[in-house]
Amino acid sequence: MTIRIDVWLYGELAKYGGEQAKAGFANLQINLPEGATVADLLTQMKMPTEERGITFINGLLSAMPGVQPDLAHVLHDGDRVAFFHLRSMWPFQYRHGASMIGELAQELTSREDKGIHHDYRHERSG
Amino acid sequence: MWIVRINMTDRSVKFEDVPEKYKYLAGRGLTSHIIYDEVPPLAHPLGPSNKLVFATGIVTGTSAPTSARVSAGGKSPLTGGIKESNAGSPWAHDLAVMRIKALILEGLPEDKKTFWGIHLSWDADAGKPRVEFFDATEYTGKDLYEVSPKLFERFGDRISFAGCGVSGEYGYGNAGIVYNDLAKRPSRYSGRGGLGSVMGSKRVKFIVIDAKGAPGVEIVDKALFDEGRKKMIDAIRSHDITKPKGGLNSFGTAVLINILNEAGGLPTRNFSSGRFEGAAKIAGEALFETNKQRLGKELYNHACSPGCIIQCSNTLYDENGKEITSCVEYESDWALGANCGIDDLDAIGEMVQLCNAYGLDTIETGCTIAVAMEAGVIPFGDAKGAIQLIHEMGKGTHMGRILGAGTETAGKVLGVTRVPTVKGQSMPAYEPRAVKGIGVTYATTTMGADHTAGYTIAPEILSVGGKADPLSNEGKAALSRAFQATTAFIDSSGHCLFIAFPILDIASGYQGMIDECNGVLGTKWTADDVLRIGGEILKVERAFNEAAGFTKAHDRVPEFMKREPLPPHNQVFDIPDEVLDAVYAEL
Repeated sequence: MTIRIDVWLYGELAKYGGEQAKAGFANLQINLPEGATVADLLTQMKMPTEERGITFINGLLSAMPGVQPDLAHVLHDGDRVAFFHLRSMWPFQYRHGASMIGELAQELTSREDKGIHHDYRHERSG
Repeated sequence: MWIVRINMTDRSVKFEDVPEKYKYLAGRGLTSHIIYDEVPPLAHPLGPSNKLVFATGIVTGTSAPTSARVSAGGKSPLTGGIKESNAGSPWAHDLAVMRIKALILEGLPEDKKTFWGIHLSWDADAGKPRVEFFDATEYTGKDLYEVSPKLFERFGDRISFAGCGVSGEYGYGNAGIVYNDLAKRPSRYSGRGGLGSVMGSKRVKFIVIDAKGAPGVEIVDKALFDEGRKKMIDAIRSHDITKPKGGLNSFGTAVLINILNEAGGLPTRNFSSGRFEGAAKIAGEALFETNKQRLGKELYNHACSPGCIIQCSNTLYDENGKEITSCVEYESDWALGANCGIDDLDAIGEMVQLCNAYGLDTIETGCTIAVAMEAGVIPFGDAKGAIQLIHEMGKGTHMGRILGAGTETAGKVLGVTRVPTVKGQSMPAYEPRAVKGIGVTYATTTMGADHTAGYTIAPEILSVGGKADPLSNEGKAALSRAFQATTAFIDSSGHCLFIAFPILDIASGYQGMIDECNGVLGTKWTADDVLRIGGEILKVERAFNEAAGFTKAHDRVPEFMKREPLPPHNQVFDIPDEVLDAVYAEL
């Protein structure tokens, strides 16, 4: 039994879309075994997880640069997964109150900064 | 420094010393205080009692990075409330170095047929600016790309200008104030709220500045200023979003198209969906790759104004390598693209160019065309039809005048119920049903729906709401209030709002902004003062609006957003009214 994932790659990540790469993006369908996770999807596409930043699963924010609690998130047939390059952005005031997957919501709520920052790859003094 | 008052009733000019109470005010803080003090709240926006005030920021005209910003303020023909609309341009720098703290246009002439130009230059003998008038009627009724080069031919290459397009001459609610960019394009705008029409009502077509010989901005504590400036430069240059070849320099603000689309928060076909199937074709990343294919090389973006080191202004080229327009901002790209169901980047570029040519606010124009599409005037996705409607606005046809009045008026005339406005101003490109926090700001800001009213600039803001969880309703009200106050401060500092991106993550950059301001003014402000000063600006703006007839009932999103679930998340805007009321109740 396999599941089919609708994958969207943006900016320079389009290179992982191979022949599907268009100007600035790629959209491809990836087949994975049932029970596959985001980590499995990345492995299948040969995309290092460090190269992605903002990530969405079915329109729910699942990762930010340096905060990736979605690696073990189990995917389902027909899911839409979108990976953004690290030069992309979504400032807090424009994402405040937007929907997230449970794993990310929990991760950000437990932080002292409540997930107000853009980038968590290098913990900042502020 | 002076406050220069130009009365267009008799073209008289007064130079006034800066009163003590305005000493530390600048930018939005100063325009809003002057409007509050001098404009009767019930004045007609296009009548003789309204005023148009220009004020540069605290550090504008200095070597502080990314700070050539000017605030234009007045009573808005679009909202009927107070308005500040901010732009980056060489004109902002030139106004500041002339030591003009505020330039006030007031009155209006009896002769409506003559339009005037105002020429400002530095009179070295008198040690102050010289103000002269010229007949500018010959520049009216025309495309700004046609007439603005004539200003440079007539007054020299070093000038800068502010002005209005034909939209301002007609008195449209969606007429912006245009300024030149560094390449002399008429493409920088105080776009929102119809202030171009306030200028046109006073029969002022252009304000030209030749700053040759001007003395520059006085700095009280140069060492402190330099220290702050260095911190700010370091923050901007090291952050992924703002550094050279970073997000904004590569893709421009249109880098947000794909993000909001994936989030299900990109308003599509007049706010009927949060996702547009053609989004990836019109996004900043697509624009970058399209230019690369057409030019055979990577093209990074340019500065809109002197001293900007973020440099986010993109340019779109056609297949022959000829410029279509500069620049395609996120909001313009969305308003004229996704919101109209149009996925043709070249057509969007052409529409941006036409808005610049006619002096139209791209957000209001795109939202209005989408409402016209909803009414069946033309179908969604009809790029040619949309281009034609913009021409009608430019030519002043009957349909053009209806659309030029703005989204809310057009919705009423055309019988449309899905009209995405707050206080008469159309919403920008973040759907409140998908991103609820921005909905709180859209509903409550003094400006009408405005995406630049509530920026996040410092993590300390989180403590402003006490222990309230920022994801809770109480937390949302407290945060929106704090965001709006800090934004009012940045709009007064002279910095572009985009410094907020790096300084939020790099605390030394935030301190740098405060140091720069203290250096120029000789003040001893701290981070607490940022909130206090911003809050005082909001109070004055709010007081003006209340006197103009605004109540809590105006701090609401349109009804359809509470009733119609938005795909793909199928959510409604469900923030309770008490939360919206709490934003200003506790200011």
